[in-house]
Amino acid sequence: MKASYIHILSILLSAACFSLIVFLYAAEPRSLEEVSTKAISAIETTVTKGQVFTGTYEIDQARFGEGLAAFRADNFVLARDRFERADPERRDAATQFYIAYSYYRQGWGRAFNDNELFASGLERLKRVPEIDADFVSRDADLKLKTAAELRDELEQGLKVTADDFNPLRLLRERK
Amino acid sequence: MREDPIKIEVIDSAEAGGPDAVSGAGNLSLETGEEQAPKILDPSGQIIRTAKQVERSRAYRIYILLPVIFLTVALLGGLRLASLDGAFVFVAPALVSLIFGLVLFALFIRAGLIDIRGWFSDEYSIVHNAANGVVLATAYASSVQVFNSLLPEAGLPFWVVAFCFAWTLWNNLFAEFDNKRLLRSLAAIFAFAFVAKYVVLANLTAPANDAGWLRSMLENPAREAFTWLLDLPRYSAGTGYIQFFCMGLYFLGLFLLPRSVREQNY
Repeated sequence: MKASYIHILSILLSAACFSLIVFLYAAEPRSLEEVSTKAISAIETTVTKGQVFTGTYEIDQARFGEGLAAFRADNFVLARDRFERADPERRDAATQFYIAYSYYRQGWGRAFNDNELFASGLERLKRVPEIDADFVSRDADLKLKTAAELRDELEQGLKVTADDFNPLRLLRERK
Repeated sequence: MREDPIKIEVIDSAEAGGPDAVSGAGNLSLETGEEQAPKILDPSGQIIRTAKQVERSRAYRIYILLPVIFLTVALLGGLRLASLDGAFVFVAPALVSLIFGLVLFALFIRAGLIDIRGWFSDEYSIVHNAANGVVLATAYASSVQVFNSLLPEAGLPFWVVAFCFAWTLWNNLFAEFDNKRLLRSLAAIFAFAFVAKYVVLANLTAPANDAGWLRSMLENPAREAFTWLLDLPRYSAGTGYIQFFCMGLYFLGLFLLPRSVREQNY
């Protein structure tokens, strides 16, 4: 083999080994089996980031559909999991809106709301106007169509006001 | 690597024969002329290897074997095994390890273990210079990971051992050294740190168990107290074996590392 080929081979080999070492120290697998799992996850993340970089990023429609079905069946934990996996880069306004909405619906109570879930919903809702400031949901099942409406509902739910002690409150409906 | 000089004789290519006899001369900096090719002969005059073969072996050693050795050290230097289930724990090097690695490299250059002008030159092609840089970079990475391996992870022992390293390296920077003395000094200090961490401190560390704090204190009061006081991590005994192998590989790498790639000491 020519000397220059050995030099190139050395550079490529070292770069590959160095990448592997950096990956292992970043991913911190706890066993040899976990190395492959973490590698697949890292490759998926890299591919997704590459899609974002090249402007070809799209959400996983199949997982989004599963999330929507779970959302309509009031299985909000499963719905969020599916939505998260459908949009790992958090770049789709509709998916992020559904995630925030799922926190609202799960946290809503006729007598009391779950403040923790409402706060999580508010936090997640911040992402929607960042992606699309004019986002309007086309889902007829949702009574709150925009991020502003949902934010107001979540903020009202977190506040303690005299209205909270109104017995008619028990008659209100979840939106 | 310090090698014993091997006898080189320039013999007539027609007498020696074979394709290497002619083409081998072109790859060497020896002044041989087109008609002759350098050969390595044993005392009886038998051809052992052609110069081209030796040159190729040397290139494989420097550009393939050395990076593999140093990168293996870089990989294993931060690897620990958890005491409870033997799971991998990858410990990234502390900033102080990077600084110690740099000081160690300065020492290598001062003591003549590495001659920078022999590794980088305008006479070499870009790829050649880059490959040399990669070899030295892998050597630096492995030096950093050796310090990562030898420094205790946290607490008082970390500061004590780090101080000892800093003191020794700083003193060595101003001492008169040759490369053999430097390697001996390094072997001594690394051996001392290894024993301190993987023999003394490891034996003071209480084994991890699920029995609970009170039961652990009753069963092993002294070791539990030392573990708590010195903030000792609980690693399995296998960690010491891995790091011992890592140290051995590191010194093998240093032994094989030539002072300069310009040398033709075969």
